[in-house]
Amino acid sequence: MASSPAVAAAGPEDLFAPEVIADPYAYFGRLRESDPIHWNPRAEMWIVTRYEDLVWLLRHHELFSSAVIRNDRRPPHPPIHPEDRTLFEQVRAFRSDQLVESDRPPHQAMRSAVHEYFTPQAMESWRPFVRRAVAELLDEVEPRGRMDVLEALAAPLPVRVITQMMGVPEEDREHLRHLADKLLYINRGEPDRMQYLMEGIRGMIEYVSPKVDERAQAPSDDFISVLAQAEKDGVFTRHQVLVNTALLLFAGHETTMNLICNGTLAFIRHPDQWERLRADPAGAVRLATEECLRYDPPVKSTQRIAAKDVERRGKTIRKGDRIRWIMAAANRDPRAFDDPDRFDVGRQPNPHVSFGAGIHYCLGASLARIEGQEVFSALAERFGSLRLEGEELVYQPSIQFRSLTSLPVAWD
Amino acid sequence: MRKLRITVDHDLCMGAAQCVGLAPGVFQHDENRQSVVVDPAGASEELILKAASYCPTGAIEVVDTETGEQLFPSKR
Repeated sequence: MASSPAVAAAGPEDLFAPEVIADPYAYFGRLRESDPIHWNPRAEMWIVTRYEDLVWLLRHHELFSSAVIRNDRRPPHPPIHPEDRTLFEQVRAFRSDQLVESDRPPHQAMRSAVHEYFTPQAMESWRPFVRRAVAELLDEVEPRGRMDVLEALAAPLPVRVITQMMGVPEEDREHLRHLADKLLYINRGEPDRMQYLMEGIRGMIEYVSPKVDERAQAPSDDFISVLAQAEKDGVFTRHQVLVNTALLLFAGHETTMNLICNGTLAFIRHPDQWERLRADPAGAVRLATEECLRYDPPVKSTQRIAAKDVERRGKTIRKGDRIRWIMAAANRDPRAFDDPDRFDVGRQPNPHVSFGAGIHYCLGASLARIEGQEVFSALAERFGSLRLEGEELVYQPSIQFRSLTSLPVAWD
Repeated sequence: MRKLRITVDHDLCMGAAQCVGLAPGVFQHDENRQSVVVDPAGASEELILKAASYCPTGAIEVVDTETGEQLFPSKR
């Protein structure tokens, strides 16, 4: 609704305004309908919101580079403390070596080296582990009659899965979760965020360096060994192995947390859809999980930087311009989805862009799907009805992640 | 070599281009950057099945034309 108070209050295009953080669908939905390729002067970036445009942009990687951190010469937005400029350069050096920040041609060989580990079939072999982990976590809280979904389930589950994949010991989980939390200051608004980020990066490098040394000497079947082999094959440098091990450790963390929390919240707010899932959890959960991904996606938006001058819808995007593409708006585009604001667990087809599109399509998508499916089917099997416990829901002040700070629920 | 019928579901194809990278003789992108089959005999069966399994969205189906047996995704 173009005239809703939330939109009016967003006024000077502050992408971190509380109203926009609380309800990105109103603000970005209005942009999608009125100015789908929109220049935001405050953030100095293009905001792309229509489904058709997102898919076009993501599939033209030669026009829109992923090497944003390396090539963006504008100062960080929002501003950081001036004295943190050196930290910013250190963060930039680290992030520039991430797979997600690389372009072809190097990206193709790098992606190929790790892709096989994450194919849908390969990830199916992890389903029993995920199912067991979900059951253990829920067994612990079920007798209490209430839980914070984030603390009890959504946060610990991905850490268990990722640490198992990395072949690192259980007792390191808490340390890694702590580091992952610091790395989540990427794309937040706090002026001191570089300090947390760099602490997280240093901690990760310190933690993974000896593991990489070990796996290079004595390979195993874990994911670090896959990267260590890629280094031997000349595809990755040692620094890239370290950076991408760290990337994998946190990339699957916040995103999975958000899928679990946002999906659970959608079910609570749509009891009729919860009943549809409960009627046949095993049969309905695959499409239902896709709808959770579409309806309130874990990642709201991501960035590219123009590699050339590009014309689209009468606008000229100049080489070097930043572009933020809003999955949360594209997934609700009425040109691509019938009745897009309706949460419909049977929706099919459901070609949402919550995992992106094109050559950078989320490497961990199959794992995320399995984690979501196992959580939602287990919840549906165990709990007749879930209800919110009082408190107002608060989202992290991130332009990238759609992250609840907690999700307290109860059941009878 | 047996004849294969290879289909790409465009409701699912997200243009990740893994199939094009592995078996460019079989898969190419159309103007929307979705995969299309240009020659079902353009690579070995082994490579075609690998390309199908690499699809992150499971958009590719491979069937033995003569027997009708679905080779990918394999029926459980």
